[in-house]
Amino acid sequence: MNSNVYLPEPAKIIRIKEEVQGQRAIKSFRTQFLNGNRFSYQCGQCAMLSVFGKGESMISISSAPNVEDYLQFSILKTGRVTTALHEMEEGDVIGIRGPFGNGFPLQEWKGRNLTFIGGGIGLAPLWGLLHTAVKNKEEYGDLTLLYGARTSKDLVFRDELYELKKDIPVHLSVDTEEEGWDEFVGFVPQNVKEKVTWPQNSIAITCGPPIMIKFTILALKELGFEDDRIYTTVENKMKCGIGKCGRCNIGSHYVCKNGPVYSWAELKDLPQEY
Amino acid sequence: MEKIITKQSVPEWIKKLEDYTIYAPIKNEDSWSFEVVEPRQPEVIDLNYLNSSPSPKKVVFPPKEVFFEFTGSIYDRMELKETLPEGRPQVILGIRPCDAAAISRMDEFFSEDVKDPYYLTRRENTILVGLVCNTPPSPNCFCTSVGGSPHGKTGLDILMTDLGDDLYYVESLTQKGVQIMDVPDKPFRQAKSEERSKMRKIHTDSVKNITREIKDMDTIGTRLDNVFNSSLWEEESMGCLRCGICTYLCPSCHCFDVNDEISSTSPLEGKRVRTWDNCQFPDFTMHSSGHNPRPERASRLRQRIFHKIRYSQQNFNNYLCTGCGRCVSNCPVGINMIEILNKI
Repeated sequence: MNSNVYLPEPAKIIRIKEEVQGQRAIKSFRTQFLNGNRFSYQCGQCAMLSVFGKGESMISISSAPNVEDYLQFSILKTGRVTTALHEMEEGDVIGIRGPFGNGFPLQEWKGRNLTFIGGGIGLAPLWGLLHTAVKNKEEYGDLTLLYGARTSKDLVFRDELYELKKDIPVHLSVDTEEEGWDEFVGFVPQNVKEKVTWPQNSIAITCGPPIMIKFTILALKELGFEDDRIYTTVENKMKCGIGKCGRCNIGSHYVCKNGPVYSWAELKDLPQEY
Repeated sequence: MEKIITKQSVPEWIKKLEDYTIYAPIKNEDSWSFEVVEPRQPEVIDLNYLNSSPSPKKVVFPPKEVFFEFTGSIYDRMELKETLPEGRPQVILGIRPCDAAAISRMDEFFSEDVKDPYYLTRRENTILVGLVCNTPPSPNCFCTSVGGSPHGKTGLDILMTDLGDDLYYVESLTQKGVQIMDVPDKPFRQAKSEERSKMRKIHTDSVKNITREIKDMDTIGTRLDNVFNSSLWEEESMGCLRCGICTYLCPSCHCFDVNDEISSTSPLEGKRVRTWDNCQFPDFTMHSSGHNPRPERASRLRQRIFHKIRYSQQNFNNYLCTGCGRCVSNCPVGINMIEILNKI
């Protein structure tokens, strides 16, 4: 990273993949720094993406740290910067600074079962983590993914998900009945209650819309997961990435610096300002 | 170094500091602000001032500053030009001890963990010459409740005390302070021991003159935690107009926004700028989805007071409030931090 933390490094978009179309469009962008550099990061960390002339937006890194050729970001079209990103094409230049935040404590989870629970775009922050764990499968217990979205068309990484089923159990869900869907119908927390049965020696990591996270945590608690075995990520509006611009705080914590990854044991005692 | 300068000699001293940009209190109708003093016109400086309306924080943390300029095309390549401050040395003359203490809080904040090169470059080149508050410059001064003093030295390079009789007692506190007192044809003379005693008496009295107080500050942290979910915040913030004057005038508020400004679209030319921002504005925390973690006035007032008192205590073992009283004196609807903290 540049010694001036506010100075982004120009990077080229080398691949754009359309994940979800329509109102809640999601695209995955792979990028390479123009100067050939790369930065090392941990699963769960984020980077500040610049569209020059539009501004910056904090996005989780969805590629795994061992991927050397590119950084990947999977982005829901929402505000000014993400809309501008969605209008960009392969070969276009953005700026990147980071990595920011704490990341998942994957080293501490060795020997444990890991259950990944994602909803909608919330699979993106888990994606690099999931792949890192799968790549080092022998170091962990059972690995399982539960992932749901409003409809099957809203699921991200669709092709890769079917590919992933060869390695680990993947339980998909959609919110409402649709023709040709033979997996679970209902909200993610309901699927959690149905499929997750083994809290002993297990860690659950969940990311998705706030309402989904809330009910997923309730479901996990009901199943017997202890607070320090449940992990989630928090997002808030950010401008700097280093705990200085002053807006992403929950209590005395700055999400960009002390987060975005929290265990429920930590998060439940902080103000609900996220 | 402890010296005496006559009030009439202050302009002469300032004229000798020609390598420095001098900021000093200048009267404009019925209020003061810190402005750049033209090298040949030091007579405009008014050290018989109360306190400045806006705090002098703008000297080290300007309301708007450019991080970098960009030029090029998003289809091809972008050139970035870093725009760090030039680093011309500057002096803030006559800063009140509360405002200097506030700058020292920002020093700690902007150098903690990842450093802020823009703030720190300006700060390293800034010399603070403080002026003791013999009597409180505002009826809402409460520096002594938040660890400060009307003759406090925190953050200062020089402390000046008005001895009356047209004399200032001038004490250097750092090497930077010695440096600007060491000018040719010295306008200073040695301080006599009776002048030193007089200075001490003024300092002792200055503390007694502060009458506003926040009570039981030693237990304020846990008492604040206990009222986090109280209806107090709703009651106290009822009148808030979201004007943001409290944090705009505050000497230690440092939250900021970052945006791009463009001057040409083809080629794309523009700059990334930092501007002061304000936690009392609803869009300060609003996500692009429309979700807002602090959607009501109550949660925003609570954030301001918790950030100043509780979170800063947890993160820095200090308060992010130095008791200048500007937020109390200038709130158009009378939201009063001193009274709120005395209620809990």
